[in-house]
Amino acid sequence: MLGNHPAIMQSILDFDFACGKKTPSVIGCVTANRKAIKLFFGKNEVLIPCFPEVAKVPRELRPKVQWMLNVQSGRRAYESTVAFFDAFPKALGGHIFAENVPERHATELLARYGKEKLIAGPSGVGLLVPGSLKLGAIGGTDIQQIEASRLATEGSIAVVSTSGGMTNELIRAVALAGKRVSFSLCIGGDRFPVTSLTDVLLLAEHDSQTKAIFYFGELGGVDEYEIVELLEKKKLTKPVVAYIAGVIDEAFDEHMQFGHAKALVAHKDESARAKREALRTAGAVAPDTFPEFLAELARLPSPDFRDRVIPMSEFENRQKSILSTREIIDLEQVLTFVKGGKLVRRNDGLTKSIISALLDRQDLSDTTVAFAEAVFSLLIDHGGHVSGAVNTMITARAGKDLVSSLAAGLLTIGPRFGGAVNDAAATWTSGVQSQQDAFAFVQERTKSGKLLSGIGHRKYRVGIPDPRVAAIAQFAELLKKHPHYDFARAVEKVTTSKNGSLILNVDGAMAALFLDILAECEGYSKEELQELIDAEFFNALFVIPRSVGFIAHFMEQKKNDEGLFRLPDELLFVRKHKEGK
Amino acid sequence: MARVKISEYRAKKVILGDAYKGRSFRINERGKLAPLEAAGSLTGGKWVAKIDQGVKKRMKQGLVAVDVNAAKALRAFAAWKRKGFSQFLLEPLVKHAPEEEQYLSLERVRDGLHVLHAREGGIDIEANPERVKTYLIRSANDIPAVAKATKLPERFLLKLFEVFNSDFFVFLELNPLVVRGTEAIPLDAAALVDSAGAFFTRAWGEDDVVKARSKHPAEERVEALAATTPASLKLNVLNKNGALFFLLSGGGGSIVIADEAQLEGAGKQIGNYGEYSGGPTREETYLYAKEVIKLMLASRPPAGGKKALVIAGGVANFTDIKKTFAGIVDALSESAEALRAKGVKVFVRRGGPNETAGLALMEGFLKREKLLGAVYGSDTVITKAVEEAVNYVTR
Repeated sequence: MLGNHPAIMQSILDFDFACGKKTPSVIGCVTANRKAIKLFFGKNEVLIPCFPEVAKVPRELRPKVQWMLNVQSGRRAYESTVAFFDAFPKALGGHIFAENVPERHATELLARYGKEKLIAGPSGVGLLVPGSLKLGAIGGTDIQQIEASRLATEGSIAVVSTSGGMTNELIRAVALAGKRVSFSLCIGGDRFPVTSLTDVLLLAEHDSQTKAIFYFGELGGVDEYEIVELLEKKKLTKPVVAYIAGVIDEAFDEHMQFGHAKALVAHKDESARAKREALRTAGAVAPDTFPEFLAELARLPSPDFRDRVIPMSEFENRQKSILSTREIIDLEQVLTFVKGGKLVRRNDGLTKSIISALLDRQDLSDTTVAFAEAVFSLLIDHGGHVSGAVNTMITARAGKDLVSSLAAGLLTIGPRFGGAVNDAAATWTSGVQSQQDAFAFVQERTKSGKLLSGIGHRKYRVGIPDPRVAAIAQFAELLKKHPHYDFARAVEKVTTSKNGSLILNVDGAMAALFLDILAECEGYSKEELQELIDAEFFNALFVIPRSVGFIAHFMEQKKNDEGLFRLPDELLFVRKHKEGK
Repeated sequence: MARVKISEYRAKKVILGDAYKGRSFRINERGKLAPLEAAGSLTGGKWVAKIDQGVKKRMKQGLVAVDVNAAKALRAFAAWKRKGFSQFLLEPLVKHAPEEEQYLSLERVRDGLHVLHAREGGIDIEANPERVKTYLIRSANDIPAVAKATKLPERFLLKLFEVFNSDFFVFLELNPLVVRGTEAIPLDAAALVDSAGAFFTRAWGEDDVVKARSKHPAEERVEALAATTPASLKLNVLNKNGALFFLLSGGGGSIVIADEAQLEGAGKQIGNYGEYSGGPTREETYLYAKEVIKLMLASRPPAGGKKALVIAGGVANFTDIKKTFAGIVDALSESAEALRAKGVKVFVRRGGPNETAGLALMEGFLKREKLLGAVYGSDTVITKAVEEAVNYVTR
């Protein structure tokens, strides 16, 4: 696909899925400023790779490329088409969607590719082979249309027209008449289509599936005389039913320019009436009214067919994701750090260096290092949904660099996101030092309207324990005393008696156990612990590993670069400036 | 996307370059001839003065003044200005004998340039088609042979070939053309260029495009709107007091629907023709629909007191029905009361993406506002709405 037209691309993927294809037929998209476009294939989302130019399509994808769908503007259609066929000389053909391709460009494309490629356009809606290929907007862009026109079923009527809208109208009419389409090509309303009407009619004649031709034409141009000539020379022997629109022109004093480029009558024999008459003389059916034209469909031959059932439920309620990333760590799989009251040995040299550097102490105990190691590995990432990761990703998609994107993520850390570890440490310390019982402590805290840091979880609750808390709670077994941890658990008992989701969370557990470990294994005094709390040291336990996670999300954005992020309208509630406006 | 006429002045300037001594004059916004200094500096010599607005058969209509002095030419301009013309051309007179006049035309066709040539041209060429010989120039290599056969200067033909290729000419008629040795002097020229080529050439521009017919302001506004969107928006005012107004979509579908009106005998009642397609936004559709509604409201009330608005089209490929209908509803709701007062009913037939939601939106609105004629979807034949609309206004 040259150029980016998400609606058309999505309709092609829907068609593919409806036809039972296992993978999308869109191999890649040549478009600037992004590396992927996210679309649905059935209910699942897939990323279609994007390349800045045809020459950048990777080697392994090249042999798969058979068709071009060019949706670039009329200004660029010519050069991009030439670039495509230079890169893929064996491709079978394509469709040029743009209107406003200069006539000279069209005739040059004609001279280059007219003989060997099948190219629908310039202009029009493309080429359709039910059950196999949808190259363009042809047949419609929503799945209801593909279903209603039975486009997953191969049939026997070839639908041909210069007009894009009428191509689709005729495709639908075939289905409504209980028949099916063998193929349809919209020639386009431009003066010089690359694949001419004659080419298409000969295709239909030579296609064994096609039993009849259903054609819509307009006043202006001499295309229909091509049909006449083929019929007269017996090069076309299959039945042709044609409607030539434009008798309205007779109501005006001056010839009008109608919708399509060539729909301007310049000579008398280009009138609708003359062309109908010529077709009739040559043996085609060319009714005077559109309803009569449709009625003729019933008389066209149509062998038996069996409809492929399109699984419509697979297309319902598709919720588009607004960001994409990868799974950075397996959140389901929580490691074991302490087993049977003993440390599980890990390679933790780096953690040792980090904690030594932060605390300015040598000869740290194994327990301290192992605990830091456990916390770091648990907190690398918590999925792409969380605020810091989202900000990192959005910043990356705005085209910013690694440090800026990382900073955007880190600057999100605060009272509601990731900044609770230090607060929890402060909470447990003040609780232990106040020597209050947990019940009184909770009462006092909640009475003054304060939140309890380290308590509460959105997903886990009593009965569904947080596996990460369970994993680090094992460290308590390695200590002789653990007053902060005990206090935290006592608080949890009070809060969960009111609400089952108010359990000790990973921030709270980390803070409590690290306080206890520092006191027992590293000999920290109360005052020294308070110093760490005042300096917000405990948040470093989050910031250090999560920086790695943010960078990983950043890298993923750069890899799939989907372009600038914008929140879809339906995901944003906007309060009106003034009521009743 | 269309072939458009450019002024004779520009066509000749592109073909002949500095050798061309013609001068272009226009009536400016203040109703004065411009450039005035150029008009004042005209002295001596004999001139040919003519209208330069793509008008056919100027000579027969008295829109050319031959062999006049400068003062007379300016008086001719003033007379033509009173007739409503605004673009003129003044050229030095080329004295020649009638038998020197040749005919030459070129047109871009599928496989090259189609050439028509007659040794005896002039204004009666159409009466003598048998004198015209045809040639085909596929590439520059064919030019020497054509030059030999026509006895036209090879360099002149090469220049024309170049103009067709580099400057996106698609049709050129030189009649009469006077040839003296290696010099070819076109006395009259009519040129069509490919408007899609405008981006690629500096030889001509929007300002050089002439309009044969004076435009309705609504047509001008739609044209200006169309220039700012990749979607297609077209409007032609046909009968400003018609009874049948059209908001049609799709180049082909719109003709089918207009045809049906003609077949039902209501061709002369059609107020406007036009179409929107290619996925216009809600806002663009709103602005377009507003123009049609304005035309309808400005039209004289018909004898029977009834008018119909036909909102119809085929089964769209990618134009979103819900979005475009929302735009039309926006426009209709601004004038619902005035439309009711005019006895307007709205007849709808449309299919495409988001068809069900779009039709429901339209039907709900029309019912509420008591404007409903009928609403049909893609399972009903495309001509149904217009057929009922014609019945409504003629009954």
